[in-house]
Amino acid sequence: MKLSKLPEPVNLDTVAKSLNDAVFMVDHEMNVVWLNQMAEEFFHTSFEKSQGKNIAELTAITKLEGLLNDVFEQQTPLKCSYEEASVKVKRLDERYFFKIAINPVFHEGKLWGALVQLTDVTRFHEMEKIKTDFVSIVSHEFRTPLTTITVGVEMLKEGMLGDLTPRGKEVLDAIGADCDRLSRLIDNLMELSRIESGTIYVEAEPTDVSDLVQEAVRPLKIQAEKQGIEVITDLPPELPPVAADFNKSVWVLANLVGNAMRYTDSGGTITVRVRQRGKRLFFSVQDTGSGIPKEHQDKIFRKYVQVSGEGRKGSGGVGLGLAIAKDIVMAHGGEIWVDSEVGKGTTFTFTFPVYQGNESVKLPDADQEGG
Amino acid sequence: MSKKVLLVEDEKNVILGVRTCLDAVGYDVEIVEDGEEALNSVNREHPDLILLDLLLPKVDGFEVLKTLKDKEETSKIPIIVLTAKAEEEDRQRAMDLGADNYMTKPFKPQELWDVLKGYLPDN
Repeated sequence: MKLSKLPEPVNLDTVAKSLNDAVFMVDHEMNVVWLNQMAEEFFHTSFEKSQGKNIAELTAITKLEGLLNDVFEQQTPLKCSYEEASVKVKRLDERYFFKIAINPVFHEGKLWGALVQLTDVTRFHEMEKIKTDFVSIVSHEFRTPLTTITVGVEMLKEGMLGDLTPRGKEVLDAIGADCDRLSRLIDNLMELSRIESGTIYVEAEPTDVSDLVQEAVRPLKIQAEKQGIEVITDLPPELPPVAADFNKSVWVLANLVGNAMRYTDSGGTITVRVRQRGKRLFFSVQDTGSGIPKEHQDKIFRKYVQVSGEGRKGSGGVGLGLAIAKDIVMAHGGEIWVDSEVGKGTTFTFTFPVYQGNESVKLPDADQEGG
Repeated sequence: MSKKVLLVEDEKNVILGVRTCLDAVGYDVEIVEDGEEALNSVNREHPDLILLDLLLPKVDGFEVLKTLKDKEETSKIPIIVLTAKAEEEDRQRAMDLGADNYMTKPFKPQELWDVLKGYLPDN
């Protein structure tokens, strides 16, 4: 077979030039040696004008300097999170978002410079923003009609607006319970959109572990008793305080126990355990429920994912609880994971750091300002 | 003598719900549906307490709150915000302007009764 040759005007240079990303080649002093057409157009420059200019100055993306330094130092491609590698660029009163990729270039075995590639992710950013705003608006708009329903149902239930038949009372109880469920869902959606817009702070304060566990478990104990489930707390004495936002960490633990209750049969047990290992405390919630199949285990922390299972009882949420729990735990610098075996039960574990001093953590800002 | 509660709310259905809820425990309820009317009626009706929505036509709830709390004659009237705005910034802003309480929609009748009782113990 004969390999076809590229026709003369189409060489690799032409290919690089017509890429949809802005591409720069810089030397080890970060001066531009080569750039493609997209880079010329976007940054209002030309091949001649760009020659020997510092890339951070040419593009007005100051962040590039630090990122290039990292790449030169480690001599490996840029490794950082999406947030760290995105940058907001203003041009002709329009805002653009770029994702930055940097790869070191070697010549005769020695570091020579780097290839810098800027991908326009503005549209992606806009979609994210629309989604976050939408979630916030929807959760907000649900509150007013829910007020009328909640107030009305409660008044009817209490018989304050006249007598009810037993069946009527039963139906109203069900409506009332579902109103509560909708209210919780709205709170969760709001919490999520807050986290995604990067506006919530986790105030890590010295938090007493026993208080935290009690506050999370107590409100659920009555319901657990009704379902015939035993809730056991297992805390060694004299645990050090953790660096945690009290309300948010209570929320995480209560959410895990609530989940466990939905998947555990009457006669089952839920154990809330805390153990210290070095400078971390491990909180675990173990149930004797139906377990989660292996193939679902890595999916359950994603947003809007709900694992349907035979063991599931009653009505749940929409699969936001664990996604929020993960965001909260990670904002504390902790980790969360699941161990489960079908038929044997599930254990969720998360870690919080032991309180050391003045810590305060902010969730990554989705609208991070670069350059 | 039953206490007079001024309800400032523009959603008809919510008005029905809250009014029913207040009637049931014997409050005297006055209703206005925008912020401007709220400011006018406070001077006319001399309510013992105000239940205030924040998203209102003409003059918004924050403005109503500020005006009433800034004025000597009306600053003592307890104002309970009843709103769908659940963001912490909104709560903080309302409290800074002098709101006495901040309730997020939806709420249950019992919660509203409990809060009202705190401000009007001898209804």
